[in-house]
Amino acid sequence: MSEDRKLSRRDLLKKGAAGAAAFGAAGATAPFSFAGPLKYKGRYLSGNLSLITWVHFVPAYDQWLDPWAKAWGEKNDVQVTIEHINNTLLDQRAAAEVAAQQGHDLFFNLHPMAAYEDQVINHKPIIQEVSKKLGPYMDIAVKSTYNPKTKKYFAVSDSYVPDPVVWRKDFWNGVGEAPYTWDHVRKAAPKLKAIGHPIGIGQSSNDLDSNMALSAFLMCFGSFLQHDNNRPWLDTKKTVAAVKFMTEIYKTGEDPAIFSWNPASNNQDLLAGHASLILNAISATRTPEDTNLPFSDQLMIWPIPIGPNGRLGLEHLMGCWSIWKFAQNKQNAQQFMVDLLLAGKTATIQSKLYNFPTFEKAFPFPGIRKMAAQDTHKPHGKYTVLTTIAQKYTHNIGYPGTVNAAVDEVLTTSLIPQMFAQVSQGKLSAEDSVRQTRAQVNSIFAKWKARGKI
Amino acid sequence: MSLRRNVFSYAVIIPFTIVLAFPFFWMFVTSLKSETQVFDPTKTWNFHPSLHAYGYLFHHTKYVTWIENSCFVGLLVVLITLAVALPAGYALARLSGRVGRTLGIAIFLTYLVPPTLLFLPLSRVVAQYLHLSDRLWALVVVYPSFTIPFAIWLLMGFFKTIPQELEDAALVDGCSRFGSLVRIVLPISLPGILTVVIFTFSLVLNEFVYAITFISSSANRTVAVGVYTDLIRGDLYDWPGIMAAILIPSIPLALIYNAFLNRFITGFTGGAFR
Amino acid sequence: MATAVAARGSRRHRLRYVAERRGVLATLLVSPAVIFITALVGVPLGLAVYLAFTDSQAGSLGGKWVGLGNFRRILNDSVFRGALWHTAEMTLITQAIVVVCAGLLAHALVHTFRGRWLFRFLILLPWAAPLSLTVVGFLWFFDPQASIWNWFLVKAHVVGPFNKPSWLGTPNLAMASIVTVQAWRTIPFATVIFLAGISSIPQEVDDASAIDGATGLKKFWYVSLPLQLPIALVAILFGIIFTATDMIVPYVLTQGGPFNSTQMITTWSYIQGINAGNLGEGAAIAMFLIPVLAFVSVAMLVFARRAEVT
Repeated sequence: MSEDRKLSRRDLLKKGAAGAAAFGAAGATAPFSFAGPLKYKGRYLSGNLSLITWVHFVPAYDQWLDPWAKAWGEKNDVQVTIEHINNTLLDQRAAAEVAAQQGHDLFFNLHPMAAYEDQVINHKPIIQEVSKKLGPYMDIAVKSTYNPKTKKYFAVSDSYVPDPVVWRKDFWNGVGEAPYTWDHVRKAAPKLKAIGHPIGIGQSSNDLDSNMALSAFLMCFGSFLQHDNNRPWLDTKKTVAAVKFMTEIYKTGEDPAIFSWNPASNNQDLLAGHASLILNAISATRTPEDTNLPFSDQLMIWPIPIGPNGRLGLEHLMGCWSIWKFAQNKQNAQQFMVDLLLAGKTATIQSKLYNFPTFEKAFPFPGIRKMAAQDTHKPHGKYTVLTTIAQKYTHNIGYPGTVNAAVDEVLTTSLIPQMFAQVSQGKLSAEDSVRQTRAQVNSIFAKWKARGKI
Repeated sequence: MSLRRNVFSYAVIIPFTIVLAFPFFWMFVTSLKSETQVFDPTKTWNFHPSLHAYGYLFHHTKYVTWIENSCFVGLLVVLITLAVALPAGYALARLSGRVGRTLGIAIFLTYLVPPTLLFLPLSRVVAQYLHLSDRLWALVVVYPSFTIPFAIWLLMGFFKTIPQELEDAALVDGCSRFGSLVRIVLPISLPGILTVVIFTFSLVLNEFVYAITFISSSANRTVAVGVYTDLIRGDLYDWPGIMAAILIPSIPLALIYNAFLNRFITGFTGGAFR
Repeated sequence: MATAVAARGSRRHRLRYVAERRGVLATLLVSPAVIFITALVGVPLGLAVYLAFTDSQAGSLGGKWVGLGNFRRILNDSVFRGALWHTAEMTLITQAIVVVCAGLLAHALVHTFRGRWLFRFLILLPWAAPLSLTVVGFLWFFDPQASIWNWFLVKAHVVGPFNKPSWLGTPNLAMASIVTVQAWRTIPFATVIFLAGISSIPQEVDDASAIDGATGLKKFWYVSLPLQLPIALVAILFGIIFTATDMIVPYVLTQGGPFNSTQMITTWSYIQGINAGNLGEGAAIAMFLIPVLAFVSVAMLVFARRAEVT
């Protein structure tokens, strides 16, 4: 597996000089290389390209991406280097590269790096180029990577991941319940814990899963982080109600372990046959299938349960690529992104339907549904619900507003899980916790507004 | 008397050894299981052991490369540290009065600065001024910044236990000061030097923050970083593989440290007059 | 001709004389260390100190000067105040455990007995293993599902199988887990240093105290302890520094959770500086470590110097 990753051992910097020269030559013709498109590809592009991305939760995707990138490089006369690191380390690397003003040409992250807006190029040309062939860039992607205040695309998203609930049919049916609404979950929680299979919704800081699950939960209760004009919100009454609801679920149906979870923990809990319900992407079902665990047929995939405000979900992750302003090979990077987006259908298939394309026409929903129906794992057709979730119940973080640096900071400082955890642990009342969190959120938004980013 | 002493020794040592070494034993047991078995409560102790994890480490990851990289960096850092800290430690122990003491404390105080504070500005230094991005040389250059202060302090202690009379005797015999340093003091302080080697190597291996910041490609990683990035695949911790990866460098290192322990102890006591 | 030789000789002699002078040789010998440390610690440290007085964000290393604004905001933040307290708590409890255990172990290991070599090997393991790896090993050791420690507790009927303690998810237990790991990895180091201290007591002292009738506990308290104090203080001092400046153990085990009950200055500085992008604030937080540790170090060193018996 690692052999495929070893695409180039050569020192980036030694090649940097050659790359810079190539870039200089290519840059002089930059306005034309998109105008006179792909048939001129081979002539204008040469040199290097370095990417950094995560270790995909579905290993098959990386096994496709690395050779694909290499083949792309050979076709375009570019030496491509891909580095994969653990997703928890991406933020740190981004900060280090910005501090050093030197790093990879293409930087992937699981959340749009809105805070680095000033450090990246405007990615609009890439999106325009792909739109010519694949139609419009999806709304969820636009709202995740576009800043309406500065009118800049600070990243380009190649994929989003729908976030279903994954639950154990045998356990739930055994207590005569199903997670149709959050009320059902609340009723079932004590019964499930009593049989030793508690609910597994994390309330941990520094856990992306906890952040997304709880933020989506809030939306189902009518509490939103910001208005559609990107002003901070968090309706007090509704948020308090949501927090109290989740606290009850925790007290009656969850283990205290959830407060120290990392992104892998809820999966592990499910894999160990312990948890009865988690909010996670389908890597949680693919791994049991791949390792032939006995209960993989008992795993059901449903949309997020219905709350008083209906059924609203978030993407589990938003795969976003950014090109630094100080990147050495911006031209190559942009061309690579264009081609990667054009290959959206293949990427989706290779990720076993984990990734969904951000240009709908790349792989239209009916097509995905048909493919999901062909999945042989039992119960048959369980993956088709993903398209329903993707179409109807998946929004960007910060819905109904757009993703911006303030939303990003709320996410990376895990204010939402903390708000819940403090109450679940009995340290603060729901009212106090919500009030404290609102104050923190407001001050973050004020800070970024002062910087002109909102 | 000696029986009572022995009983005391065993009574203290055995419980402590169990507590200190048991995690490693459990790591070993885990490394012999397969990935799906590690969560099975019925297979905690009775299972079919296999060396699959070790095979995976050696054949399907760059583990060997990472160990080579760690050794490479470790050895070079040890050499640099010795080259810089030996003369400095000697000078501070011997030749300077109050200035030396203050300077010694000042050098030591730099040790209190945590790498989490420095790694961002340092990344600028390494990338822009030294042009060493993604090269092991970046670590070789940066690590002595925290091994040298520590080494100077250790060596100061050692040199202080070597009596001045020895060098004065050499001076009377016609040696230059520098010559006395090389010919008389160095050989006696060999245990001290060994100590610095061991401590420095240990500090280098433990370091994580700089290694993850300055090194990108999988082939250039050190052991600490490689395990973290390649064996923890986001959703899935390859527990048997990780356990195996921990055990493999630890055991030889502990053996080596153990072998040099006696030398280290005699060094601390100043071997000249024993 | 003779004057030329004499002149040359005297020049060489002068050079030699210069090199003989204490000051020059000392400067020459110390300068590589000073240059190294200035370049690789001093310069970034200066930059980091500058950062602490700006509002720089997200790795950009530049920003507007805000004076003491960051410090004021931090001191008002309850998480930071908690981090100060937790760091002190973790460090002091760890060192207390380490001193007692290492002292006992060192005394037990001084005399040769059968199998000492093997025991020493096993005792050295926690320190020989790379820290960032053993901490991941402890993640497994404390895993909510498969913790072998919980397995023992259940088997010993200390806890029921359905309320196994969550070592990393409950506030006080999480702190206990962190302290355990820190003590576990520091005890071998301290034992070794204490061993050296014990062995440095000259035989004459042993004989003299035997003649004077001081044995066992009395000998320990009045003779051995004062003689070992300087070295013991060095071990404690380094232990304090290693523990207080360490980020890996708390960050990997709990990331400062559950909800900031194990947040340390190092982890909080990292989370604020990197994850949240508030570089200036992260730098300001980390800077609090330095004066506190400096004070502790100087105090202990002065005390050690006074206690030195040579």
